[in-house]
Amino acid sequence: MNHITLASKNLLRRPVRSFLTVAGVSLAVAVAVSLGGFNLGYRQALDHSIERLGFQMMIMAKGCPYEAATMMLKGGTGLLYLPAEIYGTVKSDESILSITPIFVGVAAKEGSSIRDDEGTKSFSIISGIDTASFVTMKPWLQFKTGTGYDGGRWFSQDSTTEIVLGFEAAQYEQRKVGDTFYATVTPNGQTEAKTHEFKITGILDRTGTQDDGTVFMPLKNAQTIFGRPTDLTIIGIKLKKFGAVELREFEGRWLKIPEVQVVSLEQVKGTLVSLVGTAQVMIAAVAIIAVIVAVIGVVNTILMSVYERTGEIGVMKAIGAYRSDIFKLIWLETLAVCVTGGVLGCLMAIVGASLVEAAIRALINLGVQGSIVSITPGLVGGALIVSILLGFFAGLYPAWRAASMRPIEAIREGE
Amino acid sequence: MKHIALLLPMLLLLLLPARTFAAIGCTLSNPAQDLKYLYPEMTTYKEELRQLDQMKNGADLFKKLRARLGSDLDPVYESYETPYTVYSIFKGGDLIGIVHGVNVPGKGGVIQVFISAEPGSGEIKSFFFQRIESPAAKALKKKEFREQFNGLTLADFYKHDYFAVAEPTSDKDKVGRIAAPDVGEAGKQDYQASLRGLRKNLVLLDMFVYGLKYEAYYQRSQESLAKSKAK
Repeated sequence: MNHITLASKNLLRRPVRSFLTVAGVSLAVAVAVSLGGFNLGYRQALDHSIERLGFQMMIMAKGCPYEAATMMLKGGTGLLYLPAEIYGTVKSDESILSITPIFVGVAAKEGSSIRDDEGTKSFSIISGIDTASFVTMKPWLQFKTGTGYDGGRWFSQDSTTEIVLGFEAAQYEQRKVGDTFYATVTPNGQTEAKTHEFKITGILDRTGTQDDGTVFMPLKNAQTIFGRPTDLTIIGIKLKKFGAVELREFEGRWLKIPEVQVVSLEQVKGTLVSLVGTAQVMIAAVAIIAVIVAVIGVVNTILMSVYERTGEIGVMKAIGAYRSDIFKLIWLETLAVCVTGGVLGCLMAIVGASLVEAAIRALINLGVQGSIVSITPGLVGGALIVSILLGFFAGLYPAWRAASMRPIEAIREGE
Repeated sequence: MKHIALLLPMLLLLLLPARTFAAIGCTLSNPAQDLKYLYPEMTTYKEELRQLDQMKNGADLFKKLRARLGSDLDPVYESYETPYTVYSIFKGGDLIGIVHGVNVPGKGGVIQVFISAEPGSGEIKSFFFQRIESPAAKALKKKEFREQFNGLTLADFYKHDYFAVAEPTSDKDKVGRIAAPDVGEAGKQDYQASLRGLRKNLVLLDMFVYGLKYEAYYQRSQESLAKSKAK
């Protein structure tokens, strides 16, 4: 009988204890892999969201940089405006490759309620854009095709009745190309809301960004219906050459305008990463503690098993087993527990990734779209290697104890 | 080993981002609160998901739905795969009501038309909107308009098909007697969509809950209509 078979049989002699030990290891590994997946996925999602903004930096009205970061990624509603003339001034900067003005406003929509006494409200984010420069920034924007969506096109820039819907906005509204869309807006400085009727000229394909939930209309029309004909919300900018030096130079040139701030993607990324960084460190600490507790559990279980089998080990030695045979046997048992736990933990993490994601999203608003838990083959491989290494180290002491037993004493103790 | 080989691709599939989009159904926003609002005496409720494409005779029922509505179904938002939710309301062990909602495309977006019905007879207990964005919304949501439908059944709608053509002035046409709200020209489309939604709701409930008990009325009205046209 070889060592592996013997080690397996030994573990199966105490199935409940072996199962509980494996479960402890697998839970610890699952937590660690899920956390690693979150770290990886969140950064990927953030990179994707930022890249899909289309611009490297933006000029916006002075305010909280956290708000700015959220607004860039989620199209937030705490809107500040800057004078539209700034666009004309900044546009002349020679370092700019492309630039696009954007006006963001929030329109009221009917909410969902069956009650006669309850007027629930929903809202739509309206983006007034200059189509030509906006599409240059986001060349991946495509119109959805298929039944109900064919023939999608951008509105003409001087239109007051045409709009384009993002993918999710269309799904929520259950709208198709050619349908009507109502938006109720209270113009700046007025108290009475006005309902506007638009025709949908196109529905965009899913992009995985805030554009999916946005209603696009010509810039001028958005400014008019919101009563802010001379305001903008964001000026998106792409530089010919982008780096820390170029960004500093650009900021130096334009931060002299008192009411604006220049926010770069790197700043936004840094802000968001630092926002979740503390939470990630705390969760990482919990995961590490869980792994340590699991390893202590494994050492304890194998040691108990060694003590219970003292007599048996003595007999094995007495009939000719070498120290190395006993050492290998106990070591293999530990390794088997850790590897099985590692494999099961990885499977649990893979299968439970969507649950972890839902839980994280329910707890904190991360400001990014797309999957935030990414369990890659590399991560799973790393977790398995760590499990094997832990098995090696955790098995050393119990295996040494077992191998060091003197046959006669062991048989006597075991009686 | 063979099992692991099978398991791995399945797990990899789980890792792929979900890019399939299901048809959109119509459910209550806050079922527990909404149903308690409709039935204050409710002690519990049951939610059942019905989908024509998963029913034995689903294809046939889908065809019937189109015929009984007398209009085409929206290929995107009223598809064969659309899920429907039927709420059964209980007071203790007694079934005291059925609530069901449908989506219908309106001029300004989806209109969500709900009814609560008597569990035995299928009579409308109340008719209400969960979502409607329309110039006609105010008029359509008015109690006075909606309450006119209380007590009607699907049979009354099928009878109306006959009366509207053959005997437009008949007193027996309960649906025909309903006073249309003042919705103006801009709201006409949504008024029609709301009526269509109500009828669609009743037809589906007849399929899901009442075992097509009103089917005979449809057949009879169609036959009578054919005879009257032949005359």
